[in-house]
Amino acid sequence: MNARQLDPIAEAAIDWLVRLDSGTAGADDHAAFARWLHADPRHEAVWRTISGLLDQPLAAIKDADTRLPGQRHAAHRALTAPARRKALRRGTAMLLLLGLGSYALNRQQPLLGLSADVHTATGERRQVQLADGSTLILNARSAVDIEFSAQTRLLRLRRGTLLIHTAADRQRPLIVATEHGEARALGTRFAVQLQDNHSELAVLEHSVRLTTADGSEQTFAAGSAARYDASGIHPMAESAAPLAAWADGQLDVRDRPLAELIAALRPYKRGYLQVSPQAAVLRVFGVFPLDDPDATLHALAETQPIAIRRYGPWLTVVEHQNEIR
Amino acid sequence: MPAAPSVAKLYVDHHRWLHAWLRRKLGCTHLAADLTQDTFVRVLGARDIGHLNEPRAYLLTLAQRVLYSFWRRRDLENAWLDALAAQPESYAPSAEDYALVREAIETLDRLLDGLPLRARKVLLMNRLEEMTHTEIAKAIGVSLATVERDMKLALTHCYMAGLGAAAATPQARS
Repeated sequence: MNARQLDPIAEAAIDWLVRLDSGTAGADDHAAFARWLHADPRHEAVWRTISGLLDQPLAAIKDADTRLPGQRHAAHRALTAPARRKALRRGTAMLLLLGLGSYALNRQQPLLGLSADVHTATGERRQVQLADGSTLILNARSAVDIEFSAQTRLLRLRRGTLLIHTAADRQRPLIVATEHGEARALGTRFAVQLQDNHSELAVLEHSVRLTTADGSEQTFAAGSAARYDASGIHPMAESAAPLAAWADGQLDVRDRPLAELIAALRPYKRGYLQVSPQAAVLRVFGVFPLDDPDATLHALAETQPIAIRRYGPWLTVVEHQNEIR
Repeated sequence: MPAAPSVAKLYVDHHRWLHAWLRRKLGCTHLAADLTQDTFVRVLGARDIGHLNEPRAYLLTLAQRVLYSFWRRRDLENAWLDALAAQPESYAPSAEDYALVREAIETLDRLLDGLPLRARKVLLMNRLEEMTHTEIAKAIGVSLATVERDMKLALTHCYMAGLGAAAATPQARS
């Protein structure tokens, strides 16, 4: 597989590298290696090149692992995901399946009639079993109208975010409608979020067909996400998994502006959570618990240049440190 | 650089068009602007663009490479973050740690590109997770000789990839 010829010194250096890191190298081996290394200046030069190639990136990961355990393992997994997009999907599906058994849900409702309105309060996430066997998870401060008929299974998202795991029914398509368009399940699990000026779709399994008021239509496969409004559909570069992490009680942000994270926390925090324009544009990464917004704000303040001020239970202000002196 | 005037002309004539093309691919105007710049950086790095018959076809070829490496890095980063998110602990790395680890993973990915999966795993188990050959052989159910062969293959591959990268970007070393 290596078409180019490997020079004998490099080959010897690689043999030493394999031998010394095998876990069974003894004092004899180390002494013999030292003799080889000093026998010729070229030996040392090639040795440095070969061992240095990997040492630097490996050291960076190991170093981070001492501060935040799990980095080694995560790096290893990322680098050995064979067909990454596919692996990503499988990982996501598994995460959500595991999650389903252990949701810290505030309320469980068994079966819901053919039409109903479901809503959740601040800090409340609810799982609902629908009449057709589908499972609906509603994020905090969300509302959905359920309208099942002989022709369709329609969920009108009025506010917030939902995740649906659909039951098969060839006769009646399942549609999640917002004011911005319709997402039609093609046998699947997906999440829809309604925001002020657009809606967002995150597909976790199989695929979903989006249709908007202007007649745009596009099908999205597992792992993909899209933003849409009445005038069209815009595919998103983000992977779908973090957009649906809320269903596991997590906030998974990947290099996003702080404003987005704060917006996702709001339904979980009583009173008003305000973020200053200067703090809003800070880029954040991390996985945070949704159910404890104060702990999340605290964790953020440890890694970001922000200050959190509380004015009683009604108002919490997140500011950039530059603004408070 | 003598080629500069024609690069400037190429930029003036086509950067809007290229930006629009990339925006359609990416669905994000800022990202498209970044990758448009990256594409023209590659034009500057190319040897001879004195007389291009099909400037847009040329730009598209380069832009596709930029786009491919962008998606590749994005996939890698997503796989890494998914792995982190799947762990029980919450985590919030500092921006510095985030950047360092992401860059380290990208470097390793470049060095390991094209290496068979088992050899990749063996190398990472040994060098990253610090497992002995015996432990690795037991963990993945192969003989000790196979682990040694995979280690040698992997290190040779990395060495060749490292040489290739050094030869491709001589200015980076000076």
